[in-house]
Amino acid sequence: MKRMLNWFRLRKLENDLDRELAYHIDRRVADLIHSGLPEPEARRRAALELGGATHVREEVRDIWLTRWLRDFVYDLRFSARSFLRSPSFTATAVLSLALGIGATTALYSLIDQVVLHALPVDHPERLVLIDWIGFQMAETLGSDNLMSYPICQDLQQQKQFFDGVFCRAATTINLSTDGDPRLTAAELVSGTYFSVLGVNAALGRLLTIDDDQAPGSSPVVVLSYDFWKNQFGSAQDIVGRKVLVNQHAMTVVGVAAPTFHGIDVGEVPSLWIPAVMSAQAIPGFNGMLDRRTRWVQILGRLKQNVSLAQAQTGLQPWFKAMLDEDTRRTKVSRVSAERRRQFLASTLGLTAAPQGHSILRHNFSRPLWVLFVATAVLLVLACLNVAGLFLARGSARHREISTRLALGASRGRIGRQLLADSVLLAFAGGLLGLVMAPVAVRALIAFLPRNTAATDLEANVDTRLLLFAFLVSLATGFLAGCAPALQAGRKSLDSSLRERGGTPSGGLALRRAIVTAQIAFTLILVVAAGLFVRTLSGLLAKGPGFDTSSLISFGIRPTRSGYSQSDANRLIRQIHDEIRSSASTQSSAIANFQLLLGGAWNNPLTIQSTERFTTDRDVHLNAVTPAFFATLGTRIVGGRDFDQHDSLPVNEGGRRVVIVNEAFVKRYFGGRNPFGAHVGMGSGPNVKPDAEIIGVVQDISYRSVRERWEQAYFPIGAEYSGSNFYVKFRGTPESAFRSIRAILHNADPALPITYFRTLDEQIDRSLNTERMLAALSTGFGTLALVLSLVGLYGVMSFVVTQRTRELGIRLALGATRLSTIWLVLGDALVMIAGGTAIALPCVWALGRLVESQLYDVKPTDPVTILAATLVLCSTALGAALIPARRASAVNPTDALRFE
Amino acid sequence: MLILQILSLEPAHGYGIAQRLEQISKSVVQVNQGSLYPALHRLEQKGWLKAEWKQSETGREAKFYSLTRSGHKQLQVEKDSWARLTGAVQLIFDEGTVQ
Repeated sequence: MKRMLNWFRLRKLENDLDRELAYHIDRRVADLIHSGLPEPEARRRAALELGGATHVREEVRDIWLTRWLRDFVYDLRFSARSFLRSPSFTATAVLSLALGIGATTALYSLIDQVVLHALPVDHPERLVLIDWIGFQMAETLGSDNLMSYPICQDLQQQKQFFDGVFCRAATTINLSTDGDPRLTAAELVSGTYFSVLGVNAALGRLLTIDDDQAPGSSPVVVLSYDFWKNQFGSAQDIVGRKVLVNQHAMTVVGVAAPTFHGIDVGEVPSLWIPAVMSAQAIPGFNGMLDRRTRWVQILGRLKQNVSLAQAQTGLQPWFKAMLDEDTRRTKVSRVSAERRRQFLASTLGLTAAPQGHSILRHNFSRPLWVLFVATAVLLVLACLNVAGLFLARGSARHREISTRLALGASRGRIGRQLLADSVLLAFAGGLLGLVMAPVAVRALIAFLPRNTAATDLEANVDTRLLLFAFLVSLATGFLAGCAPALQAGRKSLDSSLRERGGTPSGGLALRRAIVTAQIAFTLILVVAAGLFVRTLSGLLAKGPGFDTSSLISFGIRPTRSGYSQSDANRLIRQIHDEIRSSASTQSSAIANFQLLLGGAWNNPLTIQSTERFTTDRDVHLNAVTPAFFATLGTRIVGGRDFDQHDSLPVNEGGRRVVIVNEAFVKRYFGGRNPFGAHVGMGSGPNVKPDAEIIGVVQDISYRSVRERWEQAYFPIGAEYSGSNFYVKFRGTPESAFRSIRAILHNADPALPITYFRTLDEQIDRSLNTERMLAALSTGFGTLALVLSLVGLYGVMSFVVTQRTRELGIRLALGATRLSTIWLVLGDALVMIAGGTAIALPCVWALGRLVESQLYDVKPTDPVTILAATLVLCSTALGAALIPARRASAVNPTDALRFE
Repeated sequence: MLILQILSLEPAHGYGIAQRLEQISKSVVQVNQGSLYPALHRLEQKGWLKAEWKQSETGREAKFYSLTRSGHKQLQVEKDSWARLTGAVQLIFDEGTVQ
């Protein structure tokens, strides 16, 4: 440390030493003169005794700064000076490294935030997610890792394993604080949530176990710090204020600590509501105490001395007993033997959850890792390019280096100098990359799905990121520098001094190897780009199976604004009538569930045709009004659409009917006529299959564009309701938006619109990941191609220059121009073929990483690989052809005279 | 250790130390003056010596070295270990003569 400090006061130290030594010499000289020596002789003796002032100075300097540090600093200075003398070389190298480092750092930043970052709570490493592995036989509300609320209460009693257990469910509510209600992200949590996580209150109190009593007993909310700050201007008197959650009054009891943003990085709640208020927070939901309704994720904090495996094993007896007990409870006792067996085979799964639970992470960690690997490959490519540049520069500098070697510099010393070159470049690149990284992160975040909840993702450069960029730059510097450094160490001194100026052979083999590796990496990236582009274009070409042009969808949730179900239905009917009679509407319909949102209403159906059977997997269900299929432009291939009659209650002349899609007919009727068969919801023996199949429609995408599944549609009316509107409009989308907004405002000015967009936009959103992968991999592929073409071109030009004399002799002896071109191209072909040979097994091996991201194309798709190889080979040959042509144009006499 | 011993008596400058070394151990130890300064700087770096510019006996400014507290401690340590070593050697010699 002291030595580091010495660096900064080097000048003063030098001065002091000079004075000290001068004093010594003067005194010695004076003494010697005193003893009778003449002055010149005395001076000579004094200097001799000291062993040379310069030598002493050198030695003392080594003590101030350790040798290597001092040398390294000198090296860096020297490198900086020589770089400034060749700005174009420096710019190329720094820029390519900056691109590589910037991209890698950006991806790392996102991966860190989405995948790796632990929650800002006490000992996050002891948090575990508790999940049901197997068949849960329950109604589902939400997406994944879902459990029922009573199981959470049971688990809270398992005190020998857990310090505490909590459950949570993300939801969206209509929140009015003073004026109009607004859609707000909220988290429904058990009273144990904050205490188990170890989060403190910034103001007031947080939720406690007392908020876990009877359903509806605890109308309180806790605000997030940011929401309190932005929405309430950090009002100190916030505690005790009333807010309306879906028109139910609830009291603010506190504000959470500023650093705590919930446990889902992709969905940051603005407020927390006790789970006992779920009926108020989710209108129409009353499954809180039902063991057969799964809607919460359960997390626990393991006791200090309990391992995850111990807890997992230790909990199974309790879990099995609970399953057993469940089978005796009413609903479960009536299912088929097969389902019952599946149910009883379930186990309880514990996974470490230091990062909390996040659907974003679940969906995006794979694509992010894929991109991270791609950027890492790109970075290696950039390194190789810089290494190639260095080698080229090294051969230009080789006389300088040889001279230094001849003057006594050690090979290690020269190697270190070259390493200092590349480390300096890498740090310059790293610095520039770090400037670029936040921009890239912001662009990447824009690709992620967006909903009501804010994400917790930021494009900031923090210490972790700085450290990462530093390490990457250092590694890059060493990687790019070690080849030239090794090269410098290997050459025999006198051969290089004896070499004629202008024809150095420096590192050609190494440069060839580098270009070969570059071609291999590039091919991998180009293949990846090809696969992702084909996936995206495949999905776009396939489409959702219906006509999205001039189609708008929007949603309202009147029950969240205090409407009763019947009032809500009346309002929806009124709005629908007005929209249908509007001049800009071609046709319109309502659905219970939104399309292309990633989710669906799933349930098995019981079918009664010639025999009675249950579907072997969940059918995707929806409830729609008449004209839904006409609005979407989906053809009814057989039978009829719903009519007004079908939506009436059975006792008022209505009929129970259902429309299924072609995939359903194919799977369960083997393509035979399904009309007249009946279906019923559910799988138990007491299900009444009483809805008649009256129509068959084309397959359309429900959850996502990727998917075609068995679907069944019920009429909206007596049994099912819905408030997702689909409107086919005339004219421009803007005028349609305006007139629909006017109608909605007219019906109830205070009613929030939950979403409002064209179906084209909806498809874009649902294909975000695919778009991101395609766009970025194409960018990376192009960049890689450019980098390796530059590398190849450089090597080939070098080879041609070097072989000018030989080629001249060949031409003089009668070789044709064509054969000369082939001679040179052959060299390039070896590199290209070598690179391809290395890349193809890698493509095969990396295929598994991307397989789940692809659609309708295998990772080893021969067409894509062939096309990518062709693109690479043709452009590479193109790059090699330029120097080859120059070789063929060599004038034999010039070439020979050149000597 | 020699330098530390010399400086434990009184602060001195480099040339003074060199002279003293020569005086004390004229015939026994030859200290190269060239290695004196690196040694002084090394000891200063280790924090055993401190240095300041003071008027010397000739009236010129000279860099005077003196022992720090940890320097004194180090001297004691070195003395002890030296004593142990010589003691051990002595023991071996004594043993030899007894037999």
